[in-house]
This record gives sequence, C-alpha cells and structure tokens, in this order.
Amino acid sequence: MSHSEKRSLVRFLAIYLISAFILFSIASWLFYSSSKQQILNKQMDLLKYTSDNIISKLRDLHKSQSKNLKYPSSGKVQTAIYDIDKKYIYGTIKAHDELNDSIFSDKLHVVSKISPYYLGAAYLLAIKDINYSAMTSLRDKILIFMLIAGVVFIIMGYYLGRLFVAPMRESMLQMNRFIQDTTHEMNTPLSTILTNIELIEIFGGCKRNKDELDRIGIASKTLSHIYNDLAYLSLNHKRHRDISNINISKLLRERVGYFSSMMQAKMIHVKIDIADDIFLTIDRNDMTRLMDNLISNAIKYNRQQGNIGIVLTGMGINIIDDGVGINKKEISTITDRFKRANSSEGGFGVGLNIVQRIVEYYAFTISIDSILNEGTNVSITWKR
Amino acid sequence: MEKMILVFVLFVLYLNADNVSDNELNKGCLSCHEKEKIPSRLIYKKYLLKYSSKDRIAKAMFEYIKNPSKEKSSLPKQFFLKFSLKNATNQENKYIKKQIRSYIDYYDMIKLLHL
Repeated sequence: MSHSEKRSLVRFLAIYLISAFILFSIASWLFYSSSKQQILNKQMDLLKYTSDNIISKLRDLHKSQSKNLKYPSSGKVQTAIYDIDKKYIYGTIKAHDELNDSIFSDKLHVVSKISPYYLGAAYLLAIKDINYSAMTSLRDKILIFMLIAGVVFIIMGYYLGRLFVAPMRESMLQMNRFIQDTTHEMNTPLSTILTNIELIEIFGGCKRNKDELDRIGIASKTLSHIYNDLAYLSLNHKRHRDISNINISKLLRERVGYFSSMMQAKMIHVKIDIADDIFLTIDRNDMTRLMDNLISNAIKYNRQQGNIGIVLTGMGINIIDDGVGINKKEISTITDRFKRANSSEGGFGVGLNIVQRIVEYYAFTISIDSILNEGTNVSITWKR
Repeated sequence: MEKMILVFVLFVLYLNADNVSDNELNKGCLSCHEKEKIPSRLIYKKYLLKYSSKDRIAKAMFEYIKNPSKEKSSLPKQFFLKFSLKNATNQENKYIKKQIRSYIDYYDMIKLLHL
C-alpha cells in the first residue's frame, strides 16, 4: 500500500471511527441516563410505598390504647416524624430539630404529608441509601457493548476503507504499469540520440547548426533524466544496489556539469561550494538520482537568469534556488509520488519521491524550506 | 449523717412535688372530667389529630377553656346535641396554661413510643 493510500485509509478510518464513537457514546449516555433514572424511580417508588405503610402503622398506633407503642421501622429505610411546625418528634433517623430533606441529597429521600396528624405527626421523612449495584451492572454492560461494537466497527471500517481506496489503488497500478511499459520502450531510441549527439560533438561536425544541436542535446538529457527516474521507480525493488565508498564531491561536480547546458539555456547563475574528497558509503546510482533530481528541480522551477547555490560538506548537501518556491500547505506532501507543486513545468512528479525513498533507505534527513515566489532550500544531511 | 438526712428529705420533697403537680392536674381537670365521663385521653388524641404540635394544642385548649364554643371544641358537633358546653373558667391564665402543659405531658403519646 502506497503512502498516499495509507494516508487516505487512515483519514477515512479516523473520521469513520471517531464519528461512530461519538454517536455510540451519545446513544449509550442517553440510554444509561434514562435507565439510571428508571432504576432510581423504582427505588423511589419502593420508598414511597414503605412510607405509606409506615403512615398506616402510625394510624394504628394512634388508635391503640396500649401504653407501649412500638415505632414502625422497615429494613434499611430510616424514618422520622415531624409536627406541623416541622419540629422533630420521633424516628429512627438521628434527631434533626428541623425538617430539612436537602441534607440527605446523597440518599433517596421522600417527605410525605400525613393528614390527619396521627401521633401529632404532620410529615414523615423516609431516607434510604441509593442502591448503586444495578447502575454499576448497567454501566459495565454498556462498556462491554461499546468495546465489542468498537472492535466490530474497526474491522468493518478497515474493510470499508480498503474498498474506499481500491479505485485509487487501481489507477495507481495502471499508471505504474504504463510507466513501466513506456520506460522499456524509451530506452533504446534515447540512448541512440544521446550517443549520436556526443559523436557529432566529438568529431566537430555540424558547426553551422550548433545551437539547434545544443537544444536537441538539452531535450535529450531532460528525456534521459525522466527515463532514469521512471526506470529507478519501476525497477527499484528488483535492482541490486552496489554500495561502496564513493567520492561524492567528484560525482556532484560531474552531475553539475551534466546539467550545465540546461542552466546555460535558462541563463541561471550557479554558485558552487563543494568540499573536496567527501566520501560516502552509498550506491552510485542512488546518489546520482538524488543529486540529479535536486539539481533538475532547482533548474526547472527557477526563473530566467535565476540563481542556484550548491553546497556539499561532510555533513550533507544543500541546494538553494530563488525560483518559484512551494506553497506552504504543499510542503508536507511534496515528496508524495506524482505530486507536483507547480504544473506549469513538465514531469511526472516523481523526482522528490525518489529523493525521499533514497533518504529513507540510507537513514538520511531531508529538510525542505520554501517560500512561494522567493525560492527553495533543500537540505540532505547524513551521519558520518 | 446530717447531710444524709438532708438529702433524703430533699428527695422526698422532690417526689411529693411531682405528685403535687399530678394532684393539681387531678384537682383542676381530671377529677371533673372523670366525674363527667369525659374521655380525656381521647380528647387529647383528637387535639393531636387536629393541631399536631404541642404549642398549637396548648393554644387551642387555652382558647377553648377561656371562651368555650362548639367551633373551638375538638369534639364532634353531635356531641353537643347530648351534652352542653362547659362554662368559661375564671381561673388565672398562668394557672390554666400550667394545667394545660401538665395535661399535655400526662397524655403525651410520644413518651409511649419505643424503637
């Protein structure tokens, strides 16, 4: 799966799962709140029923002729009776001079009016501890349900996501197949053109049409550069890397020379600061592709009579230009395959993707700083 | 020894004082109630049912004793078809209030309650 496919899949999954989670959470919360209220209402109804029973027993006590009256009590329900002025009369609740049910807000409590006033009691306060076990059980069930639903949604989301990115994947594969086929067919005619131009230059022929020949040379080199990039991408995973200690100072000078005709055609001023005899353990083709793409981009996205700075130190390579630059929003995705910040120039948008691959393979670090219409600074650093 | 005698005398006086209070209630209220076959406990229960608090009962009793009327009585109106209203008392207010307090304490039902 390519980087962009992964990103699309992750974004899809994130949106899908977050929205599903929010919806489920809201639904679960509403269900929990409603069920919790029902449980509390049931407990409250039971408390009211107990209160009514106690009032009924108070009536019997009031009518009783006995001199030994047992105050009615009921299990875990505590009660107290208060007179019409809300003064405490008697009860299983510890005496509170005044009736104030708000102090029992953490418990189930009910105040029932008694009429007529049996034993002088006008109010019956009944309190009971809230039984949280039913609510805890309900909460646990909801959490388990959420967990199971979450797993199901992740699996479903993953498969939906794969379906979602399938068309994109198919078009990418088609494009890759096309590039592979085209690349294969381009190789022989391109080599023939470049070899013949070199032969003409060596034997000094065609002096009358030197400018035309230079232009053919530049166009052929551009084509050759594109070919090399596409071949690198399509054959990358099959290619054997010959990693050795190479003189990258020498190689960079060669590559700058290779692109010199293109720079001259655009009248670009190049400032080179290449330290001598910098060696790096790397595959020559990889380093060539990295340098070619950075230099080629600096030329391609530069203006007429622009400037390019090429700096090589023991720590890394730095290519600076004062060309068109990259939009700030696009810098983070500029290394994606087929991504082109500026479509006014030709190309497939694979150059920086190749650079990124090479950087990742050798654990280098890439930094792209760019300001639109002011220029770009690409810096590759490595550990010695 | 003298101290012991003094404590004993004080204790006897204290017990007598309580009896005196009950005696006063008997003399001022209950003896007459009993003679007239007035169910005092029942009346107190009626007051409880109607007025709830002891203060309110005391106030209602005082008003009835000072100025008896069928409306102020806790007994049903049918009662007065057979029996006449009591006469207004000319006792001192302080004495009446004291007697009422004793009456309420004497018939207090809350004292009979236990858990």
